[in-house]
Amino acid sequence: MTNTLHRQGTKENLKGDYVIFATTAVGISREGSAPKIQEFMRICLKYNPVNIGDGKRGNILQDDIEIQKLIAAQKDGPGAAAVFTDLATLQKVVEELIRANLGISINISGLLDGVQECCRKAGLERHSVEHSLGFFGARDRLPEREILEFNTLCGHGLVSFNLIRKMIEYVKLRRLTPKEAARIMGKCCECGVFNPARAEMLLEGMQKKGFLFAEKRGGE
Amino acid sequence: MEIDKEKCVGCGNCHAVCTMGVISLDEDGKSVVNQDECVECSTCYRLLRNEGYQPWFVRALRKVLALFRLGYLADVDVCPTGALIPPELKWPRSIRATFSDPTIIHPGTGVGGRGTEEMKTNDVTGRLRQGEAGLVVEMGRPGIGAYFRDVEKVALALARLPIQFESENPVTQLMENPKTGKIKDEVLNEKVLSAIIEAKTTLNKIPEFLQAMEKVQKEVDTVIALGVASRCLPDGTIPHEEWVRKAGYTLSPNGKTNLGLGRPLFKEG
Repeated sequence: MTNTLHRQGTKENLKGDYVIFATTAVGISREGSAPKIQEFMRICLKYNPVNIGDGKRGNILQDDIEIQKLIAAQKDGPGAAAVFTDLATLQKVVEELIRANLGISINISGLLDGVQECCRKAGLERHSVEHSLGFFGARDRLPEREILEFNTLCGHGLVSFNLIRKMIEYVKLRRLTPKEAARIMGKCCECGVFNPARAEMLLEGMQKKGFLFAEKRGGE
Repeated sequence: MEIDKEKCVGCGNCHAVCTMGVISLDEDGKSVVNQDECVECSTCYRLLRNEGYQPWFVRALRKVLALFRLGYLADVDVCPTGALIPPELKWPRSIRATFSDPTIIHPGTGVGGRGTEEMKTNDVTGRLRQGEAGLVVEMGRPGIGAYFRDVEKVALALARLPIQFESENPVTQLMENPKTGKIKDEVLNEKVLSAIIEAKTTLNKIPEFLQAMEKVQKEVDTVIALGVASRCLPDGTIPHEEWVRKAGYTLSPNGKTNLGLGRPLFKEG
């Protein structure tokens, strides 16, 4: 999955966006993984993530999800994810995961320099890295950069361009606060990688700038 | 997705939520899904809570409010009457849901949605080894969707290069022959939220891969998100960076890092 690879944004606002994953491999670490995924989620939860969940059962932004039940319901499966907004907290999570020695693969999506620093402080050297090379093809079909920043916060692209526009409009009309609008967007995302704090910050930023969109399309 | 016309009150909430923007109001004021363009992601069904109102009640209430020139503004995340109905999908249409709905575990990969674990489990699988580059071509994302006829164009172009398609990947599994990249005819007109072509090659072939992408991107009517991955050197250096830069491309400041905590750790022989 390339879930979080193509998150768009400036280096500045990406500083508040780190997703940590536990991922299992079929035939190697999938079997018997349920307690390990549960432990991963418990460790993340201790450090107050802004989102946490898994692709099968949903995430804490959704109405009917109760986190302890979500953790208890984990079965052997692909894994889980949590979102943090600063490196210092992420650092503590990584250190605790090293101590827990779960034996399942752990990945972090975010600014690569920051993540490397975090790994080194924890005594690790990174194993593998994936970069985005951006968008190709019919880029003229893409919306404005601001819309893409929200849309790419969901790894599966489930927050539609139209819903994002509607949420921006509702914030503009003061029918919703940025926090409420961010949460509604986050409810579309199933696996828990949507960062509601960053979405809220982006909406507040737009509010301050009078809701003007960039002239260029997002892919340019 | 289907909409029960008897229940729908035309509130339009599902129109905005639709990932492909393919729900609209019909002449009779009820919502209708463009079935050719719907990717069966079920986001509308999952997000919009069924408020359970009787359709006659909602319509009557609206008529009364309209008399006083008033309107009723419902919450944005509800379907007042529960009019959305996920259909039972048959092959080949069922492929839309397996690629587009992350709550469905793909039978071929054991992973939800459209791809594999890629480099996220490289520490235990050794899928990418020293000197190799993982290539990830995600078609249809962000937000546009892709028909397999477009996915095939890219797969055919890449198959001419010295690359190896990932056998566990769901797109590879739809190929008649992974050596040619030809995709089964029966799925070519199926549309998905996105589909990921995964392959690997040697690091020095990255420029060739990017040249091929430059060419074929002009032939498709969708967007493509590209990714490149590799196994780091012992000092943490990322080997593919040099080759991508040599080819004249810019790397994102953000990306995905595998911390190497999986066990048993894969050891190259």
